[in-house]
Amino acid sequence: MEKRTNSPFPAIDRPVMAVVGVVLVIGTGLFMWSDRAHDWRFYQMEFAQLVADQFGADKAAEVPTGMQQIWVADLERADRCTTCHLGVLWKGFEKAEHPYRTHPEAPLKTHPLEKFGCTSCHGGQGWAIDTAAAHGQVAHWEEPLLSRSLGESYTLAGDKNALMQMNCNTCHRYDRETNGATAINLAKRLVTDKGCRACHVINGYGGTIGPDLTEVGDKAPEQYDFSRLSGQRTAFAWHVAHLKDPRALAEGTIMPNFNFTTEQAQALSMLVLSWRRHDVPARYLAGAPRTDPRSAEELAAEEAMKTGPGRWFVDTGCFVCHSVSALGVKSPAQIGPDLSTAVEDTQSRFGLTVDAFLANPTGTMSVVLSRQIILTPEQKQVAVQKLREAFAEHQKQRAAGVTTAPAPSH
Amino acid sequence: MSDPHPKLPADRRDFLLKLGAGAGVAALTAQGAASLRSLVPNVSYDSPTTVKLGPPADFPDGIKFLPDERLFVFRQGNTFHAVSAVCTHLGCTVRAEALANAQTTDVGGGELRLTHRFLCPCHGSEYKGDGTNVSGPAPKPLAWYRLSFAPDDGQLVVDLADEVATDFRLTLG
Amino acid sequence: MSLRAPTRRSEPDAPGVRPQMLWSLRPRSDREAGDAIASNFLFHAFPAKVSKASMAWNYSFWLGTISAALFFLLILSGLPLLFLYVPSVERAYQSVKDIEFVITFGSWIRAVHRIAAHGMVIVVFLHLVRVFLTGAYKNGAGRGQHREWNWVLGVVMLLVTLFLSFTGYLLPWDQLAFWAVTVGTNIASSIPAIGPTVRELLIGGRTIEQATLIRFYVLHVVILPLGLGVLFAYHMWRVRKDGGLARAERDTLLERPAETPVVATKTYTLLGVARGQAPVIRAQALEAPETTVNAVPDLTRRAAIATLGTFAVIGILSVFIASPLEEPANALVTPNPAKAPWYFLWLQEIVTDTTIRIGSFTVNGAFVGGVVLPGLLIGLLTVWPWLDRSPAAATGVWMARTRGRQNTVFLLVVLGILILTFIGMAMRGPYWYLYWPWEAWPDIPARI
Repeated sequence: MEKRTNSPFPAIDRPVMAVVGVVLVIGTGLFMWSDRAHDWRFYQMEFAQLVADQFGADKAAEVPTGMQQIWVADLERADRCTTCHLGVLWKGFEKAEHPYRTHPEAPLKTHPLEKFGCTSCHGGQGWAIDTAAAHGQVAHWEEPLLSRSLGESYTLAGDKNALMQMNCNTCHRYDRETNGATAINLAKRLVTDKGCRACHVINGYGGTIGPDLTEVGDKAPEQYDFSRLSGQRTAFAWHVAHLKDPRALAEGTIMPNFNFTTEQAQALSMLVLSWRRHDVPARYLAGAPRTDPRSAEELAAEEAMKTGPGRWFVDTGCFVCHSVSALGVKSPAQIGPDLSTAVEDTQSRFGLTVDAFLANPTGTMSVVLSRQIILTPEQKQVAVQKLREAFAEHQKQRAAGVTTAPAPSH
Repeated sequence: MSDPHPKLPADRRDFLLKLGAGAGVAALTAQGAASLRSLVPNVSYDSPTTVKLGPPADFPDGIKFLPDERLFVFRQGNTFHAVSAVCTHLGCTVRAEALANAQTTDVGGGELRLTHRFLCPCHGSEYKGDGTNVSGPAPKPLAWYRLSFAPDDGQLVVDLADEVATDFRLTLG
Repeated sequence: MSLRAPTRRSEPDAPGVRPQMLWSLRPRSDREAGDAIASNFLFHAFPAKVSKASMAWNYSFWLGTISAALFFLLILSGLPLLFLYVPSVERAYQSVKDIEFVITFGSWIRAVHRIAAHGMVIVVFLHLVRVFLTGAYKNGAGRGQHREWNWVLGVVMLLVTLFLSFTGYLLPWDQLAFWAVTVGTNIASSIPAIGPTVRELLIGGRTIEQATLIRFYVLHVVILPLGLGVLFAYHMWRVRKDGGLARAERDTLLERPAETPVVATKTYTLLGVARGQAPVIRAQALEAPETTVNAVPDLTRRAAIATLGTFAVIGILSVFIASPLEEPANALVTPNPAKAPWYFLWLQEIVTDTTIRIGSFTVNGAFVGGVVLPGLLIGLLTVWPWLDRSPAAATGVWMARTRGRQNTVFLLVVLGILILTFIGMAMRGPYWYLYWPWEAWPDIPARI
């Protein structure tokens, strides 16, 4: 056996290596702990217990576990609030403590969770799953939870929960009145009554004496001059103080003092801060037209067609190509001949009675009646009867000297 | 070379040192392996399986294809049923082709008028109007999904996670 | 059982034939120790024997090994992030939020990546300081030594490390990232004549947008790591070619009897071709039992301690130090104050104070402080081994007396950089006003 060179190192290094090993074990323990140490695990346990107490173990088993997320792709919101606020959609926890309380039912009817998420109304950081971060009380998150306690910190004169209405106005900006948004409604009335638009551009029009307020809610807090403001240094507090006494905050301003009450000034501040640039999809905007505008006459004519004597032709789909002028049905396309005279027409054009023609249609009608509008023999009987009625009406009208039926087009 | 722990027998000390280092390496390996858990998603960005499809009046008699849900909704008078447009072979979207002559057959104990057949563009699978696979590589019929009316606004709702048998019909009113 | 040769510790049948599948971490003889090096892919970068002196903790502080360990850790922690991060301006911020909040161990992995990255900048810099102060870029007695080239490689690797860190800075697409990169790339644009073009090329347009993000992303995850990996391999290869750490030279110099004839016992070339070109290290100093030990297990054990120790420290720090993520990038609002990454703050500090006005002629401080001065420093650093005329006896010696003056100047420059960095980090508040570290900044106002 060859000899091995002696070395002084093992005596020192092997214990060091063992210590490093122990530190690694400790590190791994901490690493595992860091994943377990989240509030939501505790809240989920508590809620399951609550459900078990109230509804039994079977129901408790239905309580979801693990992180929850409401993903609203249209608004790019991934709200994980329901990870802790598990009771939102459960009936029976209306009086429970947060985060287990049931959400009031009415607003959710018009604003379903899957379409709006949570944060689009309540504010806060939907991405987060730990309380402080989720409620937005952390650095670098500018949309705190618009909660009652935040309202209390501003000693709101009216409803302490009113701050949330700022977010309502994201979509309801162009509403004159929004159901339930009392503070915002008050503020909107004040904007009209006090004539704010005399000096300010708001929502695209107004005077140019004062600054444009259309997107003033996006003005960075740092761009406000807080040097004359005592107390909370927030844009909201600045607006409240400024509305109550413009000259106290902005020296030399020509904005008059309207002697707003605290409630009015606070409501106006909420409205002003809600005027932001938001990329809200058009179908979320309240009051945005989603159809071609139609005149009252057009609407009335359509209604008459749907409910009048020619209703059968509309429901069945004949009116797409054929007018039935005797019965007041006007086809938008008018591709086919007027059916008022169909009883005569089939005779002159095909040499067939209406019954025979419908039983064995030729040309275009053979395609239509086999593909698009498929009629059972009974329905065909009805059709024949309706066509006869139309023809009778046509003759009656012609006898009375009214010419409704146009000349046959072909 | 002086032993700093003369009281411990050399081999026991050796064992403890080995244990320390070995446990460290094992812990590190465990940590690395556990980190792979990060690749298992905890939250889902998939679209929900329960979807509101619109008021029943929006559905004409016959067939309506909904590309977002990859679904055919059939209406026959006042009854509705929904058939998946996802080919059971490899998941392409099948296309509906109108038949020259509609045929009425018994499907799941009820009469159904079949006006279309379904053809898969990927590998030529063919299905009957009720979703039964007829030819091609498709291993089983197209899925039928549960339809219901939303309790709040009466819209037609499909649950894409809830497959039903072919006797399923949703009746309006 | 049969995978392994009959007995694990049997003697080789013939020279170069090793019947063992596994190598021994605890060799019983010098030959087994040598075999372990020769038969293991990971160990092939090591010599069979290393000088005791260069193994000392307090000579090199193992800073090079720790840098390599950090680089390795960055690659490891970067791999899962590669799966989780989305390099698009719409999704990047959201994907980082997801990593922070809902990915299991996500925030830990991100913290490991971030702390290791900052650690690597620090350790690589300290490594450079160590090499300078020990005069380790100087050559000794061996033939074919070019330690000065390895020094140049090292300077380049420091720059690549900084650029790697800087490109990673942008990826979260938050305010911190956006404005640090705005400031950083505008420094590049202050180079006369070609500056704006350089910036435009760097960020793929005139504004920091999707094109910038994808450029920085590809640089960060593909090009720079690959480049650094190649440079690292080259760096290690040169260490071997240069006969190990400069500290080993002292043994050679001190212990070589004047008349000992040169005996070529070991060549360090691939396959031993080109004999005579390779450095011929005196057998006496390199293999004498009094001055050397076997690389396996003594060197490997210490390398393992340095590597595993680094992993342990970073792993534990990452449990407790959260990675910042500011507001989403917003080109309309500059945060106050907007700071460059900390390792560039000394430059930002210089940039603040070096705008020169001569009559109507103004030289932007960004050019002086951001281009000329660091350019000069790096240039000087690169060519320093050729300017250093100290005697060979100063090689591998901490604070050699013969290198006293240059070490003092070097340390003063380092100190200056550290002070400026500290001022930039801890003493600059809103509008870049000076504040004492213990002084509170004015409250940053909020929206509501």
